[in-house]
Amino acid sequence: MNPGTMMAGSVHWRLRSLIALAMASALACAALAADQPPCCNKEIAPAAPLSDRSLYQLESSWTNDAGGAVRLGSLRGRPQVVSMFFASCQFTCPVLVNDMKRIESALPENLRTNIGFVLVTFDAERDTPGALAAFRKLHGLPANWTLLRAGPADILELSALLGVKYKKDVRGQFAHSNVITVLDAGGEIAVQIPGLNRDPAEAVRAIRAAFQRTTAFAPSSTIN
Amino acid sequence: MKCTSWIACIVFASALTAAPGDVPSAKPAVPAGMVAIPAGAFAPLFRAASDPKEIPVAAFLLDAHPVTNGDYLEFVRANPKWCRSQVKRLFADAQYLTAWAGDLELGRVHSNAPVTQVSWFAARAFAVWKGKRLPTLAEWEYAGGATSTRTNGIDPELDRRIRAWYSMPSPSVLPPVGREPANVHGVHDLHGLIWEWVEDFSTSMVTGDARGDTGLDRQLFCGTGADGAKDRGDYAAFMRYGFRSSLKASYTVHNLGFRCARSLDPEDS
Repeated sequence: MNPGTMMAGSVHWRLRSLIALAMASALACAALAADQPPCCNKEIAPAAPLSDRSLYQLESSWTNDAGGAVRLGSLRGRPQVVSMFFASCQFTCPVLVNDMKRIESALPENLRTNIGFVLVTFDAERDTPGALAAFRKLHGLPANWTLLRAGPADILELSALLGVKYKKDVRGQFAHSNVITVLDAGGEIAVQIPGLNRDPAEAVRAIRAAFQRTTAFAPSSTIN
Repeated sequence: MKCTSWIACIVFASALTAAPGDVPSAKPAVPAGMVAIPAGAFAPLFRAASDPKEIPVAAFLLDAHPVTNGDYLEFVRANPKWCRSQVKRLFADAQYLTAWAGDLELGRVHSNAPVTQVSWFAARAFAVWKGKRLPTLAEWEYAGGATSTRTNGIDPELDRRIRAWYSMPSPSVLPPVGREPANVHGVHDLHGLIWEWVEDFSTSMVTGDARGDTGLDRQLFCGTGADGAKDRGDYAAFMRYGFRSSLKASYTVHNLGFRCARSLDPEDS
């Protein structure tokens, strides 16, 4: 075997190792990504253990509109404004989404950039990731909005914690109560606002209060 | 007569689970303690005018008795997070299993009496641990509509017994399960012992007080509620629907327990 071949052989070996390492990293990243918080979710509170009242104690598996696996616990670290809906809802859900957008607009900028919005579908059957993605596009929901789906039993479980009642009719439509829930950074319910077309002031107050509690633990506090 | 209908139920259930080309000995048996309830239809107490009068209920398996304290104790031993001293308040209120003497001690409650003071979350966790689930409201009402002689319809005698039960406070120590005769399906104690959780208890009266609710059932429980009901005479059913709609998932009640169900098609479980 001449030196040229040996050299080529060792380069080949190194290249293969590099590729293998890159693939392993990519796989590891993909695995970690499943537990990564949704976009823009940099933690603003240290990862203290979840309280007994945190909804993030649920171990259910969810999927977002990009088809990614999501655990509810990945939403921790910032307050979340949560509601339940279904994509083919023609009457109340668009109003509900609009109410949430009004809350978003009513927040001062330093709060607005540090909270998330979550929409959970009732419709396990029809609200596939694709249907959710279409909904996001239709309503122009930015990256800090999380759209989630799961199996029927897990949706029912979360709805029980949120106090949302719903019922599927023979046509596959859902009769449901309307509640906007503000969860604090640890996943506890800070406030619940039932009904539609509500003044965003109450939600804004609750979000502000949730921030005060959160930033009490954060090193720098520029939230006013 | 009970024996032959039991055999008929098992044969029926077996027929439903057999696929073409199955080896007969591979047919799943009805698990011990469960009975097969044949498919049928159930007339919901409340419905919107545009909804069908009857909802089909697929054949399913139902526990012949409510889950007992003894059963639940096994579950808690295997799942310490459901011990009274460890359970999270989010999943069960402060009365969870307070009738028991300790985390793993029944004390004066009968091992064979129905377990109560368990929340919906706890009941579901037990069901999942057993490879089962809670019955749906439709399944429970359908099975509960059967008397000892008939598969459905209002039996005035049964109705009288149920009202008598409602008129008395529950005993402080509940009696063992199975003391009353089974109904025509072979199920005991659907009436006269405890209230029971169902999977979709929260669909009883979807419409709440908030004006923003979309609900097909706009009737309130009192007064006008009766106008839209299937049978204004079925007082017992009103009580059950009313009771269910007063519950929240984390509530525990001294006379509220549960039993498990299982779909016949494994894919539905």
